[in-house]
Amino acid sequence: MTENRIKIALTKGRVEKQILPLLDKAGIDCEQIKQKKRRLIFDSPKQPYEFILAKGPDVTTFLERGAADIGIVGSDILTEHRSTQYELLDLKTGQCQFVLASTKDFDPDEPRRKIIGTKYPNITKKYFDSLGQDVEIIKIEGSVELAPLTGLADAIVDITETGTTIRENNLKIYDYLDKVSTRLVVNRMSLKQHSKEIYTLVDKLEGVVTK
Amino acid sequence: MKNNLLPLGTRDEFGRRAVTKQKIISVVQRHLNQRGFSVISTPLLEKQEVFDQYQLGNYQMYRFLDPEGDTIVLRPDMTLPIARFLSSTNIPLPQKFFYVGDIFRISRKLSGSYNELTQAGIELIGYDSLKAELECLTIINKLSKKLLGKDVEIELGIADFAPTLLENITNDKNQQSEIAQALYDKNIPEYSKLIQNYSTASQYKLLKKWPRLFGDPESIFSELKEFDLSTELQDKLNNLKEIIKWIKQVMPEQSISVDLSSRAPQSYYTGLTFRGFYQDGNDYLFSGGRYDKLLANFQDQTEPAVGMGIDIDLIANLITPKQKSQKTMIYFNKDQWKKAESKLAELDNGILSLSETKKDAEIEAKNNNATLLDLTGGNDFD
Repeated sequence: MTENRIKIALTKGRVEKQILPLLDKAGIDCEQIKQKKRRLIFDSPKQPYEFILAKGPDVTTFLERGAADIGIVGSDILTEHRSTQYELLDLKTGQCQFVLASTKDFDPDEPRRKIIGTKYPNITKKYFDSLGQDVEIIKIEGSVELAPLTGLADAIVDITETGTTIRENNLKIYDYLDKVSTRLVVNRMSLKQHSKEIYTLVDKLEGVVTK
Repeated sequence: MKNNLLPLGTRDEFGRRAVTKQKIISVVQRHLNQRGFSVISTPLLEKQEVFDQYQLGNYQMYRFLDPEGDTIVLRPDMTLPIARFLSSTNIPLPQKFFYVGDIFRISRKLSGSYNELTQAGIELIGYDSLKAELECLTIINKLSKKLLGKDVEIELGIADFAPTLLENITNDKNQQSEIAQALYDKNIPEYSKLIQNYSTASQYKLLKKWPRLFGDPESIFSELKEFDLSTELQDKLNNLKEIIKWIKQVMPEQSISVDLSSRAPQSYYTGLTFRGFYQDGNDYLFSGGRYDKLLANFQDQTEPAVGMGIDIDLIANLITPKQKSQKTMIYFNKDQWKKAESKLAELDNGILSLSETKKDAEIEAKNNNATLLDLTGGNDFD
């Protein structure tokens, strides 16, 4: 029998920074990630876990293909990429919320087909579908706030933690959509193949999340 | 635009992979022929309505319009076409069928998934005896040994366990389906929120445990002991226990697990479900179960049925090819054809060289990793 190594795909950047203290608290060795330099794969001889660092959307791809057993990634990305894997734990970090925002003169009830700028076309479509509205969506990769300011779009759907960026850019929040937080996701087949190791990790983390 | 590019999600199969796949298929065919199954082959194209009941999951179907304006699809599944076939012919039942062929499912683009998949499978139609399920389990056991040299783990489930248990907990159909959805998707944050409504119910402890009710049969059954389940559920569980007892007697080496927390492979499943997986590999190799209402999609009369699919592509990914055996390339003159032919029959790994000159034959042999056997005695033809 081959040794059961569990591959954990961790979203690099903000999620990584927020989750490392939790992993530490749960007694998982992440020394190597802290001193990572430019490496992307981190193995520890002390435990059955091996970490890889990837961008959020790629974490879902690794998981869907079974190239990683566990993913740690924001629920915004899971929803947008229609993840079909098991979502076992809300890690309650990276908490923020989707909002509909625009300039102060925006009228959400104006009877016409609106143009919405967003990094999240699927979530935007779902939201406007629920309102019974058809909108034109423009996919934007970053600095979404620019869209209404430059006249590219009528409004934006984006995530915000405190609303500061939105306010500082003279935008106003018109509606609150789904809440977002970092989740622990497990590949369906991996959960069957390595249930003991995976649940050990989940239970350890759950213990430190709820405290 | 270049004219030699493949459509997204397709591939050519050549060399080692093509050989491995062909071998797997021939092992499966030989085994099922030996067990007296009749082969059935249905078209790649079907009318869209055939798959009305089919849950596509994360896939889409390839769709076309035929000249009459009807929507035609490339089949995403093999079971419904066989049901369609049986409902439109007067084939006397019961019958045991097997098939091998390609199915088409469009998955998320640029995700590394292929859209054309090779599947084999069996359908036992018209059998209400448990023997039909046991036949499938035997085939999983035997084929996995033949193909992988090792047992796969067989995971047993009950298609209507979750719906029945949820009916005992609430009459609210919406709640039932929301809880089932969160349970099947193991969306635990959502699931925990939903079951909060039942925190005073006698079954709350069971609800809390439910997402983890999979794994070793003994521990699952002992965990369930403390709960007061309806007789309907008890009967289903006893049936499952009987099957496990049978497996342990007939195939003592076979590893078995139970999963009471997962969705049946398709909505038309009605009874026992069984799947086989391996420690490596990112999906189930075998997947099937009982679906007694399958034919009801096409006709009034229902027929009891059990069936199972075998993922040939996934098995091909898992097989490590054996060391290549040495091939012999036979070079000969046209008038030596008979001699070359008998050499070919005699050799295990012979190939006829169709090159005109010996020089070309040498290149041909090199491309095929073969040693050259020269029957001409050094005289080039002509």
